[in-house]
Amino acid sequence: MIIRSSDEVSRTTVLKRFPVPRNFGVDAASRIDRGRTWPAPRGATRIKRFDVYRYDPQSGQNPRIDTYQVDLDDCGPMVLDVLIWIKNTVDPSLTFRRSCREGVCGSCAMNIDGTNWLACTKFNADLATPATIYPLANMRIIKDLVPDLTHLFAQHRLVEPWLRSKSPEPERERLQSPQERAQLDGLYECILCFCCTSGCPSHWWNGDRFLGPAVLLQATRWLVDSRDEATGERLDELEDPFRLYRCHTILNCTRTCPKGLNPGKAIADVKKMLIERRS
Amino acid sequence: MSSARMRSPLGRALGLGSARDGVDAWWRERVSAVALVPLTAWLTVSILMRADKGYAAVVAWLKLPITTTLMTLLLIALFYHTALGLQVVIEDYVHSRIKIPVLVGMHLGCVALGVAGLVAVLKIALA
Amino acid sequence: MSSQSDRQRPLSPNIQIYRPQLTSVLSIGNRISGIALGAYAVGLVILLVAVASGPDAYAAVYKFIGSWVGRIVLFGGTFCLFFHFCGGIRHLVWDAGYGFSLRAIYLSGWTVVAASIGLTALTYVVGAILAGYGP
Repeated sequence: MIIRSSDEVSRTTVLKRFPVPRNFGVDAASRIDRGRTWPAPRGATRIKRFDVYRYDPQSGQNPRIDTYQVDLDDCGPMVLDVLIWIKNTVDPSLTFRRSCREGVCGSCAMNIDGTNWLACTKFNADLATPATIYPLANMRIIKDLVPDLTHLFAQHRLVEPWLRSKSPEPERERLQSPQERAQLDGLYECILCFCCTSGCPSHWWNGDRFLGPAVLLQATRWLVDSRDEATGERLDELEDPFRLYRCHTILNCTRTCPKGLNPGKAIADVKKMLIERRS
Repeated sequence: MSSARMRSPLGRALGLGSARDGVDAWWRERVSAVALVPLTAWLTVSILMRADKGYAAVVAWLKLPITTTLMTLLLIALFYHTALGLQVVIEDYVHSRIKIPVLVGMHLGCVALGVAGLVAVLKIALA
Repeated sequence: MSSQSDRQRPLSPNIQIYRPQLTSVLSIGNRISGIALGAYAVGLVILLVAVASGPDAYAAVYKFIGSWVGRIVLFGGTFCLFFHFCGGIRHLVWDAGYGFSLRAIYLSGWTVVAASIGLTALTYVVGAILAGYGP
């Protein structure tokens, strides 16, 4: 099956997860228990089952999977609508981030049926039954579907995502030709939802040192900005066996980007720049 | 509370800083890969054409200067590429204090195996 | 506060739940075949050393290659070689900056799968013909 854009849903039913034990490499505090099942509302006819990851830091208990029977006739078409419906009508304690509900804020990124996407732009109709909702993969979880993104934003801060200039500050705005501006297309649109970084196996194993696709795409955005004058220093900071070169071109990032961007290509461009400046 | 938790998130992300290195190993892995494309193709075809021909035929083939040359190049590129590839694999999955001893052992092993192969090829060629 | 922060936050599952996709499956396949080829490289050295040592050592190695275990090992090696060979070329094309559209990623991925199976089959067919089993 040929995938043409990242929003295409895989219809294959074989190998829905890697053949590893459920608790493969999982520390004791992260093991997932079976939670409770919430019944369908009375009178509901079009019911879909959702298995949702839950974690309550105040309970002292491990994460669990709760099962909800969702009345599709009573809620909107997107996964975010389902979560809001659950919170409003079944279980007010369900916790998740959401804001814009139109795919521009990046708050509601989560693992839906095994791949990362924004809950607000994912159709319920595209999900398997039961549908599975987990937080973004490989994140420290604050509560339920809310991951701790502190480290990822620290990695973003590391690449100094702002204009660095050495020329005297101009009186007016810094000029850029339309062609130079076009260099930023495909990079500036990143909303930092971290779907890609959370889906990158290399970041799973070495996330403490590997910057991950989202941050490297952001780094590329400043490397190719014609107004920036710190390209060399930026490349110096990136040239590292772990920060950059843990990218093994797996390309789960490009497959999962809910904005249709191409972090894999951006990282390849950085690697090419590093070759270019020494050859 | 451990000291690791008191360190700022940026401090943790910065870690020991950039090694300002890595492009070289990456580039050499690619160059050795390019070399291995024709060399492994040659080896596969050669083995295929010489299977079941007996010891004398194999020795005669290995004694050809072209075979000695290509086999020498193959062994160098092969073990160079293997060492660089395994280095990445080990760095990916080994996070304990044995990482560096394992890396050193692997590199020395690759050198030893490569040299053993080269000595064998030269012995056959010059015998 | 402290009672909460003292307890390590749970790590959400990664490989246990993330859907295998052609991207990640071929990547891990390339890695596994590469590690296997490292072992076959040792085999190549053993073979060369055996040839250098004389006919008896060569006969012993050849006997193993001719055994059923040896044949299976050789078949696995042939497939690993072609899989890593084709996958490696795919990686070199990426490193040159080409083939990053999702369509190209999937087309090249399935091409690697088909080509490595096809080349393995071709090798055995040609081998059989050369050995005199064929027409």
